[in-house]
Amino acid sequence: MTRAEFIARLRAGLVGMPTATATEIVADYEAHFGDGAAAGRSEADVASALGDPNRLARELKAEAGIQRWRQEQNPSAATGAILAVLGLGAIDILFLLPFFLGVLGTLFGLFIAVAGVFIAGGFVMVAGPFAQAPGGALGAILAGLGMMAGSVSVGALLTVFTVWLVNGTVWFARLHYRLLKPALEPTPSTQAAGDPA
Amino acid sequence: MNAETGPTGTIDVQLKKGVLTLCVLAVLSRGDSYAYEIASVLSQAIGMGEGTIYPLMRRMQTDGLVETYLVESSAGPSRKYYRLTQAGQDAFIIQQADWREFSDAVNAVLTTPAPRAAAPTEEPQQ
Repeated sequence: MTRAEFIARLRAGLVGMPTATATEIVADYEAHFGDGAAAGRSEADVASALGDPNRLARELKAEAGIQRWRQEQNPSAATGAILAVLGLGAIDILFLLPFFLGVLGTLFGLFIAVAGVFIAGGFVMVAGPFAQAPGGALGAILAGLGMMAGSVSVGALLTVFTVWLVNGTVWFARLHYRLLKPALEPTPSTQAAGDPA
Repeated sequence: MNAETGPTGTIDVQLKKGVLTLCVLAVLSRGDSYAYEIASVLSQAIGMGEGTIYPLMRRMQTDGLVETYLVESSAGPSRKYYRLTQAGQDAFIIQQADWREFSDAVNAVLTTPAPRAAAPTEEPQQ
């Protein structure tokens, strides 16, 4: 594989990452080829020593996803981290996927329910006093406030649990990284391509 | 014994995978370095794939073990150097101690004479 080919495949694999990060990563590998050339190595030699660019891109993407999740704990970063980690193809995670999707669906449903209770509470509070509520106007307002407060606290608990779940998944996936293995053991194809010995 | 290159792949890879971070910490504890240099040292020393260094360095950066800075180069673009953070230095001391302890224990197991010879004097009855 030539330098241009390696970089092109790496770049293609990094699509979807923030542009600045992808540029920085590509620059790292360009510098590696430059240093290799300065040391008198051929492009094919450096490329085969580096390993499969697609695999490297997947691992770098997962790392960037995890980093973003640590910096900004929001739903989009969580989704990104989970998807990137799934992209690693850690087999254990794939086995757990049905269970994981179930938990995710349940959480989503609970969030919707909490939002519903919150809105209902607001409705009770505003409309209750005008609609002959059983406890009188004050009762309706208090009941509405109670529903809203309750839904906020349940929502907070759910959020804490979700953050914990995402952290746990990321931790588990990192523990099961199996991507270093092919990088340590050159595959037969790269051996044939670059390393005659 | 150490010339044996038979079906030892799995344990070999798992061992290397486990100590890669420690090796990078060790290289950087001797002085700041750039990725190509670290990769050359480690690929010669333990047969690490050179490409592995970049995901590994990013991971160590995410974990706060290393930080980067740019050094202007007389020829070509400026070079990215890595140095250990305080957390990286602490991690190196701890991991080094763990590794020494573990390898001593394994060596002790490997060099212990047959247990039959020593057992009767130590534990007369079971």
